[in-house]
Amino acid sequence: MKIIIGEGSCGIAAGARKVREALLNQRAQSEQKLVIGKTGCIGMCFLEPIVDLYTDEGQLLSRLVRVKESDAKRIYSAALDGDLSEVKDLVISKDDASFLEKQTRIALRHCGLIDPEDISAYIASDGYKALEKTIKSMTPEDVIETIKISGLAGRGGAGFPTWFKWNAARKAIGEVKYLICNADEGDPGAFMDRAVIESDPHALIEGMLIAAYAIGASKAFVYVRAEYPLAIVRLEKALAEARAKNLLGENILGSNFSCDIKIKAGAGAFVCGEETALIESLEGSRGMPRLKPPFPAEKGFTNAPSNINNVETFANVAWIILNGGEAFAAMGTETSKGTKVFALTGKVKRGGLVEIPMGLTLRDVIFDIGGGIRDGGTFKAVQMGGPSGGCIPEHLLDTQIDYKALASTGAIMGSGGMVVMDEKTCMVKMARFFLDFTAKESCGKCVPCRIGTKRMHELLVNITEGRGRPGDIELLLELSNGVKAGALCGLGQTAPNPVLTTVRYFKDEYEAHINKTCPAHECEALKKFSIDAQKCKGCTMCARQCPVSAIKGEVRAAHVIDQDKCIKCGACLALCKFGAVVSM
Amino acid sequence: MCENCQKSDLSKLTPILEEFSGDKYALISILQKAQEIYGYLPTDVIYEIAEKTSVSPAKVMGVATFYTQFRLQPIGKNLIMLCKGTACHVNGADSIERALIEELGIEDGGTTEDGLFSLKTVACLGCCSLSPVMMINEDTYGSLTPEKAKEIVRNIRLESK
Amino acid sequence: MRKVFKMQNDMVNLIIDGVDISVASGSTILDAAKSVGIEIPSLCHLKDLGPFGACGVCVVEIKDSPKLARACATKVSPGMVVYTKSEKALAARKFAVELIMGDHDADCQGPCKLNCPAHTDCQKYIKEIADGDYAKAVSTVMEVFPLPASVGRVCPHPCEKACRRKNVESPISIAHLKAFAADMLMKEGKAVEIKKHAPTGKSVGIIGGGPAGLTAAFKLAKAGHDVTIYDQMPEMGGMLRYGIPEYRLPKKVLRYETDAIVSLGVKFKNNFKIGRDATLDEVRAKHDGLIVANGAWKASSMRVKGEEAEGVWGGIDLLRLVATGQRPNLGSRVAIVGGGNTAMDACRTAVRLGAKDVFVIYRRTRNEMPAEQIEIEEAIEEGVKFKFLCAPDEVLSKDGRVTGMRLQIMELGEADAKGRRKPVPVVGKFETIELDTIISAIGQRNDPDGFDQLTQTEKGTIAANESDFATNLEGVFACGDSVNKGAGIAIEAIAKANTAACALDAYLKGASFKPHKPVLSERNVTEKDFTDIPRQERCKLNIRPGGERRLDFNEVNLPLSEQVARNEARRCLECGCHDFNNCALIRTANLVKADTKRLRGEFHPGFVERKLIAIERNQRKCILCNLCVRTCQDLAHKGLLGLVGRGFTTVIKPEFRDEASIAQCKDCHLCADNCPTGALKIL
Repeated sequence: MKIIIGEGSCGIAAGARKVREALLNQRAQSEQKLVIGKTGCIGMCFLEPIVDLYTDEGQLLSRLVRVKESDAKRIYSAALDGDLSEVKDLVISKDDASFLEKQTRIALRHCGLIDPEDISAYIASDGYKALEKTIKSMTPEDVIETIKISGLAGRGGAGFPTWFKWNAARKAIGEVKYLICNADEGDPGAFMDRAVIESDPHALIEGMLIAAYAIGASKAFVYVRAEYPLAIVRLEKALAEARAKNLLGENILGSNFSCDIKIKAGAGAFVCGEETALIESLEGSRGMPRLKPPFPAEKGFTNAPSNINNVETFANVAWIILNGGEAFAAMGTETSKGTKVFALTGKVKRGGLVEIPMGLTLRDVIFDIGGGIRDGGTFKAVQMGGPSGGCIPEHLLDTQIDYKALASTGAIMGSGGMVVMDEKTCMVKMARFFLDFTAKESCGKCVPCRIGTKRMHELLVNITEGRGRPGDIELLLELSNGVKAGALCGLGQTAPNPVLTTVRYFKDEYEAHINKTCPAHECEALKKFSIDAQKCKGCTMCARQCPVSAIKGEVRAAHVIDQDKCIKCGACLALCKFGAVVSM
Repeated sequence: MCENCQKSDLSKLTPILEEFSGDKYALISILQKAQEIYGYLPTDVIYEIAEKTSVSPAKVMGVATFYTQFRLQPIGKNLIMLCKGTACHVNGADSIERALIEELGIEDGGTTEDGLFSLKTVACLGCCSLSPVMMINEDTYGSLTPEKAKEIVRNIRLESK
Repeated sequence: MRKVFKMQNDMVNLIIDGVDISVASGSTILDAAKSVGIEIPSLCHLKDLGPFGACGVCVVEIKDSPKLARACATKVSPGMVVYTKSEKALAARKFAVELIMGDHDADCQGPCKLNCPAHTDCQKYIKEIADGDYAKAVSTVMEVFPLPASVGRVCPHPCEKACRRKNVESPISIAHLKAFAADMLMKEGKAVEIKKHAPTGKSVGIIGGGPAGLTAAFKLAKAGHDVTIYDQMPEMGGMLRYGIPEYRLPKKVLRYETDAIVSLGVKFKNNFKIGRDATLDEVRAKHDGLIVANGAWKASSMRVKGEEAEGVWGGIDLLRLVATGQRPNLGSRVAIVGGGNTAMDACRTAVRLGAKDVFVIYRRTRNEMPAEQIEIEEAIEEGVKFKFLCAPDEVLSKDGRVTGMRLQIMELGEADAKGRRKPVPVVGKFETIELDTIISAIGQRNDPDGFDQLTQTEKGTIAANESDFATNLEGVFACGDSVNKGAGIAIEAIAKANTAACALDAYLKGASFKPHKPVLSERNVTEKDFTDIPRQERCKLNIRPGGERRLDFNEVNLPLSEQVARNEARRCLECGCHDFNNCALIRTANLVKADTKRLRGEFHPGFVERKLIAIERNQRKCILCNLCVRTCQDLAHKGLLGLVGRGFTTVIKPEFRDEASIAQCKDCHLCADNCPTGALKIL
């Protein structure tokens, strides 16, 4: 039997490495040395750390979840004995297992199944067959045609047809052409690109090589976020292994096709997800977007024709080449083909990576796969597309996952962040959160974004801190529309979306804030604490601990909070043993 | 010309500058490696890199101050990166931040007097399912509560005594 | 033939704002528009530097394109239809400018200039005085009005009230410095050269030779018109001559300044009263246009019982009498009723006429007195006594001659709309004082006799349009104390006279006159802005001692020494922008009629530094167009400037590698030349 530990960043963060050490310890003490292997991210982050037990033939026997170091002993012995009753309590529940079963995995096809640090594992799973097919039997035009048939569109957010970009770069005149992979996954709340690189780096490399072949690029870069150290390590290793097997570099697989891939680590700037800013950054400059046109296909890195795609886009390519464009196009809707990966997080029961065919509804993903809202809460909204996207309310949950349909809600498909919110999430504060983000991440080049997002953030701070005034909502909308129309790049043009959608669907919450109440009880400044005279025993605890002495009262008599003095720290609420302090 | 009159050992830069010599687009990579060596980017290092790469000091400074990864001041022994991504926000990252500020007595971007901790909020660590999350050096800590966050910091403090 | 064919091939035809244009392919929309005289404003574009696209001001709409395009960066294409002034483009342009202005913590003009009713460029002439160039300083004042020495002496200087130096210790002594500069010229017998336009052949009549009439005459004469001033008094100057005592404004100073107006070609007709020597129509018939600035020469009555008694004077009547050289005997006990500057002039005149006990009767307290503080202080120094919270109730007389006055005791009640507490009588409380003379100085009004063709306001003043001072009669404009709200201070009359003169000038030229309030940027100063400024106390005026000066009518203020004056002038904080006249930002803000404060919030980091040796950088004024950085890099090939930081807190900072780069910088100011605002100032 083999023991395989899920070691993506999430798993490691949850303690996977400690579990591995404990298991290795067990093995050291044991006479029989079982294989203890690793895999990448299975995508069931809510269950991490996860330990899979496989037969020697590679059959998954059992999946153990929420494993602790202390479980190592019985896991090892169970694996030795082949008796799983010892670890019954760790075995994944049927409900939780359905999280994976309901998915259709293409981009994530190997994630959590193979060892990302071993090229032979990838090759054993049909790896590099598509590259071989491409080089040996297809012209670049054939490749582009196949991608065109597949209907694959940019998975980074914009949803632009991939074949079109490839074709433009192919046709652009230039001695050297560059292929660039955008792995600067900056959307807070999205992590599928990280998972792909950490769990299946060769899928990215193979996809990139096929693209390079199609457009005629001999040099390629992967621009990875600096915050993803594990991804960089695994990708470096994968590149070295591929190079050693002549799958990368000069005369790949003995053909005329040569292409090498280099890693460039980003240095922390969300705006570098914008392709011209990314190019500036690759060139060693401040990541400030350029004017378009010229588009990168014409003048990109060092002014040479360049093509930029996102990690997930590339991760689909090898599958499409092997299975045909039609197979990919068979999934999805009229306008959106294939599958899409979502990072499902927030107040949902089962969070993680979800890959599903386009055309399912938001409800399918959040309730059917994600299991609905956790802790007995009620669904309020789902945020899609990160800082460029928007919040979609309950009544639009049956919206199909489709570029057009999602855009009509005011949100976007985006890179696939899906953050679920319940009734305790304040939508105004949510908008403030995103504007705080975009204002901080604005490169500062163009006026509408640099100053406009700042002003929007200031207004939102005022509103959530009880200083909102009538007319603020209108001013916010005016600023939103102005920034949208005037900003230079995608970051600025989409930055107002979180405000526009929350005003559109939750205007009542904005109005309530201006009238000094936060319906979700989240905004500190609008909280009001009071003491229920019926429940107060007059123990004086709260009065003694109040940092500003805002609570008065005689011993054994009901206490009162002086609202003018109260700084809303909540200390009294946390202290009271009788539940007499209430927050309104 | 260095404003703070730092005296860094510039010879440590030589291998990096050699590695990237001829690559005129390598400024960010050079700065990253330099920061690995010095822990931050001292002004004299910035000037040295400008000199040796023939990039103007103004541009090097511009790049060094554009990206959040670069630091112009030394940081504490333990760098706490508190995630303030969307999922963490929804799951209470603000209260974690308050707890850390309270425990450490420093604001975002600050370093404790004993030089043990620096606190920095970051956009997203990509561990959304474990939110709220923080990273201390290479280690990630998930599903935080204010109390848990304080305890982690206290333990590191004890260990380093 | 081949050449022509090639030409056609390289040209692109498009339509901008309905104009068919043919330009070389590769041109931008901005260039194409410029080639036919359509200007699209832009703040970050310079042709030599290529497109950048930061400011968002040059946006235009292109037919069938949902997104606005940046004209500086968008290349023309065949058949393109561009609208540079579509509603959408204009709105986006205005939005961008308003965002920039909302983050532009800078002054276009100093508060002194803005608060001067006539917008005299105080900062400019103060600087010229500091530099010792008094002739230039006087010319600067004379851009606005021809009486610097006179007005400098008497003006209640609203400029000084606004002066920011007060936040450090006390305002610059602007008014005195103005008089000082003019005196210096006068002492040397020099006159400022006044540029005059070629004669227009038009004739202008001005009724009234006071500050308003003289200013209008000066302005219109400079414009090339033939100007005649008609005045009822023997000499010009109006209230400056007949309402301000000699000890504040010596007649010879005023005379020097009116003489200069004569030498400009203005004709003076004195002792000429409308209604007596000619009708308004007769004067009107002689000229192509008329300005009525006849002033307010009637003292208001106290409206108390017995005020017709002998020994009751109007304040301005007394001052006029004294100004003509008479020295009436007022007896030994004199009361002046009122709390304004005329009351101060009257009481101090009474002292000089030999009265033993001079009282000022005022119904409020000293805090509410409208007179200048310095006037009150000087009056006290000269022995004047003040009776506050008293109002005249009845003039007591015997045989028709004043013997005293019964005073109603008052107390302060609730504040009025302006925040001034209203005096209310204390029921049944009175006081009686013995007096030989009572001078009523509670206000003055105009005399409408002879001007009945002009429509009047309810107050009895001449009704004139507030924006151009046109009256109901064509070609007749009216300004000064006799118009609309009535009497005010000299500089207000001057301000109105300038507007009326411009309006009349336009009328004479058949042009339209549209006064507009320019869009300006104003700083939002806080206490912090003044903490680092070294203190330097305001200069002490050279004032004759009270005991000495009360004996004669000689000027109270003795001249400032040159050193004191120049030191005082150097205290100026130079709030207004050196680049105001060349600033592309404010020009654009005016073009789009931006509201400069609507989108204000926190400002980006601001500081002033002189690292560039020969150039002062004011980061507060920087709009991050990046032109200086790009100029230094791509035009000067030095790369000394760079952006530092990111987003809203981005600033521009110089970085020098060594001494050599400093030297390089010193001799070059291309960056400052290309700066669209006043952020870079060549020292």
